[in-house]
Amino acid sequence: MSETTHLDGYETIEPTTSPAGGRSSLGRMHGFRVGKLPLPLILGAVLVGAFILIALVSFVWTPHDPTAMVVADRLLPPGSDGYLFGTDKFGRDVVSQLMVGARNSLFVSLLSTSVALVIGALLGLLTAGAGPRWRNLLSRLVDAGVALPGILIALVLATSTGPGNRAAIVAIIVWFIPTVARVTIGPARQILALDFVEAAYAYGRSRWYVLLHHVTPNIGPLLIVLGSVMFAAAILIEAALAFLGVGAQPPTASWGRLLQESQPLLEAAPALMFFPGVAIVLTVLGFNLLGDGLRTLLDPQQATRNAGLL
Amino acid sequence: MVRVILRSIGSLLLAAFLGSLIVFGLLRTIGGDVALIMLGQEAAPGAYEALRAELGLDQPWYSQYGDWLVGVFSGDLGTSYSARFDIYEEIVRRLEPTALLAFGSLVLSIPLALALGTYSAIKVKKIRGGVVDVLSQIGIAIPAFWAGLMLVVIFGIRLGWLPTGGFTSPFEDLGASLRQLAMPIVALSLGITSVLTRYVRSAMLDVMGEDFIRTARAKGRTRRGAALVHGVRNASVSLVTVGTLQLGSLLAGTVVIENVFVIPGIGRLLVTSVLGREVIVVQSLILVILLMILVMNFLLDIAYVLIDPRIRDSQGGKAIV
Repeated sequence: MSETTHLDGYETIEPTTSPAGGRSSLGRMHGFRVGKLPLPLILGAVLVGAFILIALVSFVWTPHDPTAMVVADRLLPPGSDGYLFGTDKFGRDVVSQLMVGARNSLFVSLLSTSVALVIGALLGLLTAGAGPRWRNLLSRLVDAGVALPGILIALVLATSTGPGNRAAIVAIIVWFIPTVARVTIGPARQILALDFVEAAYAYGRSRWYVLLHHVTPNIGPLLIVLGSVMFAAAILIEAALAFLGVGAQPPTASWGRLLQESQPLLEAAPALMFFPGVAIVLTVLGFNLLGDGLRTLLDPQQATRNAGLL
Repeated sequence: MVRVILRSIGSLLLAAFLGSLIVFGLLRTIGGDVALIMLGQEAAPGAYEALRAELGLDQPWYSQYGDWLVGVFSGDLGTSYSARFDIYEEIVRRLEPTALLAFGSLVLSIPLALALGTYSAIKVKKIRGGVVDVLSQIGIAIPAFWAGLMLVVIFGIRLGWLPTGGFTSPFEDLGASLRQLAMPIVALSLGITSVLTRYVRSAMLDVMGEDFIRTARAKGRTRRGAALVHGVRNASVSLVTVGTLQLGSLLAGTVVIENVFVIPGIGRLLVTSVLGREVIVVQSLILVILLMILVMNFLLDIAYVLIDPRIRDSQGGKAIV
C-alpha cells in the first residue's frame, strides 16, 4: 500500500479534512434509518445495552441479596421457586450474583479501556509527531509491547502488589496502551502529511495544538471502534484473572470468580458453571459485534482491523 | 537467507536480554521489599534477615541480576522458599506438558483456520460462508477456560469418554497422553482458531481482488481453483504475521487451561507461585515464557521468509533463489 492511496482515501472519506464538508463521520449517521444500519451494530448495541443496564440495575435492585446465605436453599437447580438460575453451595441466588458480577466487569473494563485509550492515543500522537529518530525508537517499543500477553503482565503485578481488581486494571491498561498507540500512529501520520496541517503550522500553531485540535478529531472514530473491541478483550481477561484467583477477591462478585467457585461442583451442579459463562460470551460477543458494526460506519479504511487484540 | 537468520537471532538475543531486565526490574521494584512480600506481614524478625541473605537481596541489584542470569545458564536458580523445590529442575520438568499443549494447539488451529477462512472467503456471498463467520465471532467470545469447563462436564462427566484432567507423558503412554490432552488442546484452540479464521478470511478476500487471481480466472481457473492454487499461499503470509501476535495469548491461554485441567505445567506452577507471592520463582517462570514466545517468534520469522520470496528479496538484498 502506498502513502498516496491512503492520503486520497482520507481526503475523500473524512469530510472534516476536506474543504467542502464540515460534518464529521459521526454527523453523517444522523440521516440513517435503523433498517439501514449494519446488523452486527444493532445486535451488538442490544447486547451491550442489556449488559450495562443489568450492571446499573444491580445497584438498586437484585432479586435476592447476592451475599445472603440461605443454608436451607443450598445448590438448588435452575428454575427452583424464587431462584431462576438456582443457588450456589452457600444458598446464594445465582441471578443476583450474576447481576452484581456484571458490575465488576463493567467497572474494570470501563476504567482500564478509557485510561488506556487516553494514554495510548497520546503516545501514538507523540510518536507520529516526533522526529524520525524518536519515531523509530518509539514505534519499535510499541511493536514489542503489542506482543506482551495481558495475563502475564497481570501475574507479574499480582506477585509484587498482591492479587485483586487493582492488579487486573493496571495490567489491562499496560497491555492495551501499545495497541492503541500502534493503531493511532499510522492514521495520525497520514493526517499530519495533509496540506491543512502545514497551513496550521504556517499560521503559527504549535505541534501539540495541531496534534490535539486537528489530528485527534480525525482519529476519534478509530478510537471509538478500538475501544469497543478492547472492552470485549478486557471483559475476557478480567474473567480469566478472577478465575485464576489473581483478579477480583472475595467478597467482590465477578463472573470469573463464580466460574472458579463452580469448578469443584462440576459434577453436582453444572448449572453454576453454565450461566456465568453464557453471561461472558454474550457480553463479549456484544462488544465485538458493536465494534464490527461501528467499524463499517466509522473506519472505512479498516485501520483498526489488525489491532492484534484477542 | 543466512543474513535473515543471523539478524533474527540477533534480535532474539537482544529482546531476551531486555525482557529479562524488565522482568527483573518490575518484580524487584514495584512491590517493594521482596523478602517482606514473600514472608507476609507476620514474620519473625530473624527470618527476614535470613531470607534476605538466602536470596542474595543484601547484594547490589546488578550482582543479583548477574547471579540470576548466570543461574539461568548454569541451571541453578535457587530453591523455592515455601515449597522447597529446586526451581530449575522443577521448571525443566514442567516444560513438557506446556510445550505439548501450546504446540498441539498451533498444529490444530493453523490448518483448521486456513481451511475455514478460505472456505468462508470463497463462499462469501453464500449462507455457508456466513455461518463460518458467525461461528468464528462466537468462538472469539468464548473464554478458553469456560470452553474447558464445558468440555469437562460434557465429555468427562456426563459421557465419561475422556479423563477430566491430569497429564501423562506421550513417551510413557501415548494413548493415555492423547486422551488427557484432547480436551485441553481443543479448549485452547477454539479461540485461536476463531481469531485466525477471521484473519485468513479477510486476507483471502483481499487476495481474491488481486490481478493475478483475475489472470488465473481468465486462463480458465474456477474461483475455488484460483483461491486454492494462488490465494492460500498469499493469505498465509498475513496468517504468519497474526500468528506472531497470537503467540503471547496462546501461552497466556495455556496458563489458564493448565489450571482448568490440573496439568502440571509451567502455567500451573506460575499461578501457584503468584498466589504464594514467590517472587523468585515467578521471575524465572516469566522469563521462560518470554523465551518461548521469542523462540516461536523466531521460527515464524523464518517461516515468513520461506512462504514469501518477496520478503526474502527485500531483506536479504539480492535474491538467492
